[in-house]
Amino acid sequence: MIVADPKPFGQVKGYIENFEKILIVGCGTCTTVCLAGGKAEVQMLASGLRIAFGRENRSKTILEDNVQRQCDEEFILPVLARVADEKIDAIVTLACGVGVNFFADRLGKVPIFPGVNTTFYGASVEPGLWAEMCAGCGDCITAHTGGICPVARCSKHLLNGPCGGSEKGRCEVDPANIDCVWQLIYDRLKALGRLEELQDLLPAKDWRTASDGGVRRTIRENLYKLK
Amino acid sequence: MMDKQSPQISERDLAATCSAACPVHTDTREYVQRLSRGDYEGALDVLLEVNPFPSVCGRICHHPCESECRRKEIDSAVSLRMLKRFLVENTREYRAVRRKRPAEKKEGSVAIIGSGPSGLTAGLDLALLGYRVRVYEKDSRLGGMLAHAIPRYRLPVEALAEDIEDILASGVEVRTDCEVGKDIAFEDLRKENDAILIAVGLSESHSLPIPGVDAQGVLPGIAFLWDIANGLTPELGDRVLVVGGGNVAIDIARAAKRLGPSKVYMACLEKREEMPAWKWEIEEAEQENIEVLNSWGPLEILEKKGKVTGIQFKRCVSVFDDQGRFSPRYDESLTKVVEIDSVILAIGQKADLGCLAQTPVAVQGGRLQCDRASMATSERGVFACGEVITGPGSAIGAIAMGHDAAKVISHFLETGETLKLDERTYPTIGELPAATAALAKRFERIEVALADPAERIKDFSPIEPGYSEAEALAESRRCLACATGAYLQSEVDCAGCLTCVRVCPFGVAQVERTAVMPAQQCQTCGLCAAECPAAGIALSRFATNGMKDTLKAILAKSNEAKISRPFLVSYCCLNETTGRLFLREQTEEEIQESGILRVMIPCVARLSTVDLLSPFELGADMVAVIACKENGCFYTGAEELLARRISRVKKFLNEIGVGQDGLQLFKTDGVAEESWPAIWKELRSAAAGTLARGEGVQEGGSR
Repeated sequence: MIVADPKPFGQVKGYIENFEKILIVGCGTCTTVCLAGGKAEVQMLASGLRIAFGRENRSKTILEDNVQRQCDEEFILPVLARVADEKIDAIVTLACGVGVNFFADRLGKVPIFPGVNTTFYGASVEPGLWAEMCAGCGDCITAHTGGICPVARCSKHLLNGPCGGSEKGRCEVDPANIDCVWQLIYDRLKALGRLEELQDLLPAKDWRTASDGGVRRTIRENLYKLK
Repeated sequence: MMDKQSPQISERDLAATCSAACPVHTDTREYVQRLSRGDYEGALDVLLEVNPFPSVCGRICHHPCESECRRKEIDSAVSLRMLKRFLVENTREYRAVRRKRPAEKKEGSVAIIGSGPSGLTAGLDLALLGYRVRVYEKDSRLGGMLAHAIPRYRLPVEALAEDIEDILASGVEVRTDCEVGKDIAFEDLRKENDAILIAVGLSESHSLPIPGVDAQGVLPGIAFLWDIANGLTPELGDRVLVVGGGNVAIDIARAAKRLGPSKVYMACLEKREEMPAWKWEIEEAEQENIEVLNSWGPLEILEKKGKVTGIQFKRCVSVFDDQGRFSPRYDESLTKVVEIDSVILAIGQKADLGCLAQTPVAVQGGRLQCDRASMATSERGVFACGEVITGPGSAIGAIAMGHDAAKVISHFLETGETLKLDERTYPTIGELPAATAALAKRFERIEVALADPAERIKDFSPIEPGYSEAEALAESRRCLACATGAYLQSEVDCAGCLTCVRVCPFGVAQVERTAVMPAQQCQTCGLCAAECPAAGIALSRFATNGMKDTLKAILAKSNEAKISRPFLVSYCCLNETTGRLFLREQTEEEIQESGILRVMIPCVARLSTVDLLSPFELGADMVAVIACKENGCFYTGAEELLARRISRVKKFLNEIGVGQDGLQLFKTDGVAEESWPAIWKELRSAAAGTLARGEGVQEGGSR
């Protein structure tokens, strides 16, 4: 899932200083799960904005809405209609950056602002803690690394590690919190009886699948352009 | 018979075991929850809606609700009968005011023979429907067995009088000292009325077919109790033996004990564990030095010059056959003689059906013929209910049957047809699973000490004190409010994030695609609802995320501009209150003058982040959250989660410019009514200083 963190309150408030009627929209999928952008966060941010503007004696209308998933048009159409019907001046979305873009493409003259910082693709490694697990590079190499991704989980994204900063299985960048992923890969391959594969160096990665060649697109023929 | 379209049990609530066990299906949880909120009047409304005898039941009900209370799996049942008693004893004025009269009169009149609990219940229901109801009672006092067969140390006359007064206020007419068949002919009743209800109960004792039964000193049990209830003193010898092992036998033995004999025995066929009397009644009798002789069947009453000198027993080896039917077997070789001066027979009761002599109403072998489902006798328009049909039973069982009788009779009056009531059973949520019970905190039941046995046998004074207000409130909070816990409001909202699973202290919440909180296990703490990031979990009886609306409703009645500053909203743990001082709704003036708006929360850990922020949105200068005493929370882990939530909101308050000191968490220190005002005073004076310096809290919020 996509992980995000709430933006500092002051930043969000700054975005909307000059608008009167603002709609805060939560997303019911990834940012709900990582406790950054679900309905409860929408309520909290909206309440905070009302209190903060109220204390400055500024009257603003802060409205709330939530959609199941902000990355599909069907789900956001009711919000788009509401924006038009209620003459909303600006939107703050608590979805990941995908939601911001997806809305922005469809909002005409109404501005949209992000309420969260999208951080990474990760998992809940224990209750209340999420960690990065995938970098979305477009050419997965984990078949060779025991299912553990060095692109996402090595601080240097080394394809052949570890580096000299690996100490007692921890990464020198933040030894208290970060495992050396190459230690994890070593341990895992050992457990799988495939330690010898580490002698095969991974070739330099073709990064075109990660970022080059313009905006990445994926097509499924069974649905695409279906009449 | 369980045809009860209870107005108190909704689809969602249906499942509580206490309500299902109650013959009239009282919404136990609702009255207990109302009591715990200090709404004693509302709680009484719940009781009276289905039970016209709450004062009686508060004293003598055998409380099947308690027997089925799921709290037993954790520690012990909630003391529901005592809570009921507390309610009726503390709402007397309200009870008089709320009395109902029928909205409009209807055609049709009903005569009811007998004024016991089932007859009067039927009479009340029919009167409230608008029919003319006349109750004929052969005795001078109303109430049937309640008035004549239950000793006053258990049921004071005032308690019964309260209930009856209430019933009569509905317009039910009564004729006492009027024996049908003697003072008025049954056929005259039929001519004058459209329907007749026979509710004569079982007012006579069975006798024993053994030698010596006619000797001087042998008394029928019911007549003995009647004398006692009517202030007469039956003549008793110095050593008394009561034959029988049921509740009536216990009442007789204990009443006899109060007349001063040196020895009172009870003798019955059953083994101790088979005795039909309630266990606690047997124990109380034994405390009073009544000796119970088990497994003995009377063989002969010994007499000398026509007076009782003793009783001979034979050993009873078994009471019931393989099918559980009454079929005693004896070992005649084993006998026992007990020297006594009086014998009181309490081996069962029968109906006095003299009112039906020379009438066409079918009676066979001393039994009134009646179809149980339609309650109809052999004669059109003549119905029967209560113990005359069921045999000996409980007061609350008779009341339930009275309701049923009213239903079939009103149907008959409307349509001319009989109505067969379906037997209905309620599916319940079943027992509390042991794994859940093991995780719940134990809070022992509040017991009252009965009067000292040596003292209580001196007279017929009530032996059981009622609860104090603090005790009743504390006991009410032991109620688990079963099956009113958390549920997912809309599956679409649930992201399956597992937060509910992670915060549930009882291991109840699960995610099966979406969140599931099985009613059978949920302990209604509300933590999952407060923490749900989708704000998608709700509690049946508490509006999580709803404080804004609650506060708005209160403030709508006040002139906000006049509220004394600094304006403090105080969320307080309702479970700590020991009286109604802070449970009562505040007046507009009180809020304005004190600058304090208090909101009682059944566990403040139910407050969500937005609930904690809402007061500031509505113009509060500061918010106090006053939790229970240290380690006093019913819910394991709730204190930790609340502390974390408060800490998060404090950080947010810093970010939004209110300042973290705007929100403060306290624990109740000692008695709430003393602890809380001290907290409020300190907070307001500190905030007043801040206001004066123009820091942090400011005038002119967005109210």
